[in-house]
Amino acid sequence: MGSLFSIAVRNLVRARLRTTFLGLALALVTTLLMLLLALSQGVTDTMIRSATTLSSGHVNVAGWFKSKSSDASPLVLDAPKVRKIVEENTPGLDFVVDRGRGWGRVISDTTSLNSGLTGVDIADEPRLVETLQLAPKGDYVEGGGDAIEGDIAGLARPDSALVFAAQAKRLEVAVGDVVTVTVETMSGARNTAEFTIVAVAKDIGMMSNWSVFVSKAGIQKLYALDDDVTGAIQIHLDDHTRANEVMGHLQNVFAEQGYEVMEHDPQAFFMKFETVAGEDWTGQKLDLTTWSDEISFMTWVLSAINSVSFLLMLILSTIIAVGITNSMMMNVRERTTEIGTLRAIGMSRSKVMLMFLFEAIVLGVVSTLIGGLLGMGIAAALDAADVSIPAEAVRAILMTDTLHLVVTPNQLLAAVIAFSTIAAGAAFLPAFRAARLQPVKAIQHAS
Amino acid sequence: MKYIVASLLTALVLPRAAWAIDQTKVDAVVAELDERQRNSGDYKALAYIEQKERGKNDLVYQTVFYRRDDDDKLMILFLKPKSEAGKGYLRLDKNMFMYDPTVGKWERRTERERIMGTDSRRQDFDESRLAEEFDAKFVAEEKLGKFDVYHLELKAKKGVDVAYPVLHVWVDQNTGNMLKQQDFALSGRLMRTTYYPKWKKIFSESKGDEVYFPEQIRIFDEVEKGNKTTIVITEVDLKPLSTNIFTKAWLESKSR
Repeated sequence: MGSLFSIAVRNLVRARLRTTFLGLALALVTTLLMLLLALSQGVTDTMIRSATTLSSGHVNVAGWFKSKSSDASPLVLDAPKVRKIVEENTPGLDFVVDRGRGWGRVISDTTSLNSGLTGVDIADEPRLVETLQLAPKGDYVEGGGDAIEGDIAGLARPDSALVFAAQAKRLEVAVGDVVTVTVETMSGARNTAEFTIVAVAKDIGMMSNWSVFVSKAGIQKLYALDDDVTGAIQIHLDDHTRANEVMGHLQNVFAEQGYEVMEHDPQAFFMKFETVAGEDWTGQKLDLTTWSDEISFMTWVLSAINSVSFLLMLILSTIIAVGITNSMMMNVRERTTEIGTLRAIGMSRSKVMLMFLFEAIVLGVVSTLIGGLLGMGIAAALDAADVSIPAEAVRAILMTDTLHLVVTPNQLLAAVIAFSTIAAGAAFLPAFRAARLQPVKAIQHAS
Repeated sequence: MKYIVASLLTALVLPRAAWAIDQTKVDAVVAELDERQRNSGDYKALAYIEQKERGKNDLVYQTVFYRRDDDDKLMILFLKPKSEAGKGYLRLDKNMFMYDPTVGKWERRTERERIMGTDSRRQDFDESRLAEEFDAKFVAEEKLGKFDVYHLELKAKKGVDVAYPVLHVWVDQNTGNMLKQQDFALSGRLMRTTYYPKWKKIFSESKGDEVYFPEQIRIFDEVEKGNKTTIVITEVDLKPLSTNIFTKAWLESKSR
């Protein structure tokens, strides 16, 4: 086996020009694949961060309350009891937060916008304080400069609100200004409240366009809710990849404890109002979701990036595979006499075949390794450089202001395995033909 | 002479509210508001809804609406603009549905729905049910422009599904027409002011009496100052309507 490997390497070195071109092509395609994988992972990470900061835990225990069958209020009654069950029964639990949910119109002196309202108890939200970054005033007030005003801790005040820079710009407000929020309460009546803006945070992609944080007490008062009623209990896990498993486990736990649990519907809560209002039941039902359900309306971005990447890789891989097949065909033709001689002195068909396959595999592994490492390096450098994304539309879609790329060793491993397999697959037909050559005919080939 | 002077002085010194009308009269005024607009048979009218919002283009919708008050049925069908033609609302019993022909789907909506996102609501087109939904209280006798009016406060009865829990209404003492209405949120904030500058009447054979309708309704948003909605109601027809109008199938057929 060692001699076959040695022959393969020597042949690659001998056909230096051909090896260089093929290797370069494979390396470049691998570099491109690495960059696309890093972008996809970066977008996924940003989505998780946006979702788990703005509107969701890794798993959410939310619910619907219907006093009449035509109602649909996104509420969890007796929240302390539900929270206790969550805390006692969640495997891999990091922490739990309890947030109010609403939807209303935020009105400034000059204009207005519709937004989701998230009621937070800021003393219970150290992760939120860590994650949100305050925006420099210049981000939302013309000529505002780099000064940072406000304080997230101000959300402890019952009449306080935090908006994001794009919202502040649109509403033409700054820290200290007062906005009016109007909502429809769970009983159907309109209500209003005044909120003072205590901080303006940097945007977190498209989702921060329709997300306003207000104090928990403020949202309770706005919706005229009792203290033991909440919007959702958001669970943060040590490992977010276990979200589906944990959600399934908690569904069973709540069902066993006598709660009515709704069938899993992988959509954001605000997309379920019509469906729930159309259902013929009254009372309380729990609705468990994961972070990806709550941003299901955004996952098309990830699907689009992955689909385009897949299509691009398919085309490039086909071109590379055709190139390798063609090159190996020429290789076999050039070395027909050599193959005849090797067969004549006793080399088996399978070893002849392996000799050519090794050549392709060595070429594939070395080239993709070089290309993969190059791709990782470029991705890491771009991520570290915090390259600004110039187009607003692209920023909104990628949910970040700067290019965020994430590289992992698994991506490199996947790329090396994938392209080495393609290279070996492309060399299979020429190698098979080489193995099928009759020794006598092969030796006579030169003449 | 002394008696006349004393009476005049008393009239000048006492506040206007001192001429409070008793609760029976207050309830009668509110019941009369409903009764004058009630038609025991069917009702059809053409309505234009004009919406003006700050920083946005003005919108004008042409609609036709149908009512069958005995069965609490209401249908609003949009005719113009072309992009909205065929959309409609249907109220059956206590359920409100909206139909969008572009997706061919019915969606259940609340009774407080803002009609096509304007400041108008189902109540603006529907039968007046003030006495049924609110408890009225006398506030004062006032002057509204040149009109002598009763100013009443209406609070929603418990369990009634209304968008605004408190209303203030100004009713013309001479004609019994509502001239102005203010809607308040739970927080007590004034949300919108509505004026009814023109009332018309038409004889209803089914009722055997006149039916009054506001020819114009002007709604001013008091939170987002500058936003306003005007509803113009014309071509009121009280002839009996076809029995199958208040069905989803009928509205869908009009959308094709």
